Amino acid sequence: MVKNITIFTTKTCAYCPMVKRYLAAKGLSYDEVNLDEEPQRQQEALAISGALTVPVTVVTRQDDSREVVVGYNLAKLAPAIA
Amino acid sequence: MSKRTKENTHTVIMIGAGPAALSAAIYTTREDIETMLVEKGVPGGLAAVTDWVDNYPGFPEGLAGLELAGNLQKQAERFGAVIDFGEVTALHDEGEWKRLETTLGDLYAKVVLVATGSDYKKLGIPGEVQYYARGVHYCATCDGAFYRDKRLVVVGGGNSAVQEAMFLTRFASHIDLMVRSKLRASDVLQKELQKFVDEGKITVHLATTTDEIVGDEDNKVVQVKGTDTKTSSPVKIDTDGVFVFVGLKPNSEFAGGQLETDEVGLIKTDENLMSSMKGVFVAGDIRSGATMQVASAVGEGATAALKIREYLEGHTINVQEEV
Ligand SMILES: Cc1cc2nc3c(=O)[nH]c(=O)nc-3n(C[C@H](O)[C@H](O)[C@H](O)COP(=O)(O)OP(=O)(O)OC[C@H]3O[C@@H](n4cnc5c(N)ncnc54)[C@H](O)[C@@H]3O)c2cc1C
Repeated sequence: MVKNITIFTTKTCAYCPMVKRYLAAKGLSYDEVNLDEEPQRQQEALAISGALTVPVTVVTRQDDSREVVVGYNLAKLAPAIA
Repeated sequence: MSKRTKENTHTVIMIGAGPAALSAAIYTTREDIETMLVEKGVPGGLAAVTDWVDNYPGFPEGLAGLELAGNLQKQAERFGAVIDFGEVTALHDEGEWKRLETTLGDLYAKVVLVATGSDYKKLGIPGEVQYYARGVHYCATCDGAFYRDKRLVVVGGGNSAVQEAMFLTRFASHIDLMVRSKLRASDVLQKELQKFVDEGKITVHLATTTDEIVGDEDNKVVQVKGTDTKTSSPVKIDTDGVFVFVGLKPNSEFAGGQLETDEVGLIKTDENLMSSMKGVFVAGDIRSGATMQVASAVGEGATAALKIREYLEGHTINVQEEV
């Protein structure tokens, strides 16, 4: 079971709305960290994902285990939220 | 191979959901021709990852590529187009039916529209794969924000490279544009670029190859090595990241050589936009002779849709009834 989801995004990234739409279609809510508005959180996104790119989706489960999905990657995102 | 069923059979399948396919889908669905689009990435294609489109008719101030992509998608869906997310990996001619192998399973259609556009070419130099998404990037609108007040190298001399270098000045403190021979960007873009050069935001290195991307012990990109081809002397540019825009590679591999292509892999068509395989139409950047613009992709999509309608005349429009 998913406890919470955080997505790191920017305003101009085309793949970010795709992830948000996908999660919304699955009835899941999420917190969004827009790095254009909160550039001070870029290091956090990098530390979590190991990549300088968005979207980065962090799925935290009830047991606090965490799955990090870099980019719009349904092959990883779908099982992460299952 | 899975059998033809109601679920996997469509009148028209469009491969890709970029401007060409979405425009074609607006026309086909508005004519009640059942249409499904298979998209491996983002609806809107390259337009969706382009910061700003200034030359799409009807928008005097220009508009964000993402907005244009979203509008095209909404309009196609309003008339009933269905977009499914997956990749087409092979195409088979089975006479009256075309069978597509996809990551969603086999799909069947009476007519296929190939509107797969192109993807960014890689440089193929040391460091490029190693630092991918950690200092080496191919999408400025996706990854530019990570380079606030940092130095960047942009590689390429065409429209995309110049456009994206200018976009990246929003974030980066300075950009070095490395151009293998000379600038090939349009005159309009070159004039715009000159303003950034005059302001000291962009330095253009003409006749300079890009040979290696170098990182430090923290696995961070720190330098790009190249060669000045006029003097053969080495060029070293310190940088925090590299954005590569060295042209595009046509997405025609899925056809496995079954559709006739030109020497660069773009698919050839007749005057009806039909490929060498009967019932398979082609529109947009993937078509040999295309002018690689959103407006022309949209125009070709509309034309292809009207040609598809002509082709389907006399056929059942809702083929699921035939299953
Ligand atoms: C940086 C940049 C800036 C640009 N700026 C402008 C501009 O200012 N004005 C302008 O008019 N044009 C501009 N262009 C060009 C414009 O984006 C393209 O001409 C246009 O997007 C082409 O549309 P298309 O539908 O033919 O292909 P694309 O937009 O490339 O769409 C093809 C789609 O097919 C999908 N696809 C590919 N293969 C498969 C497969 N096997 N299975 C499923 N899906 C697949 C892709 O994911 C993609 O979404 C720019 C391009 C770039 C790269």
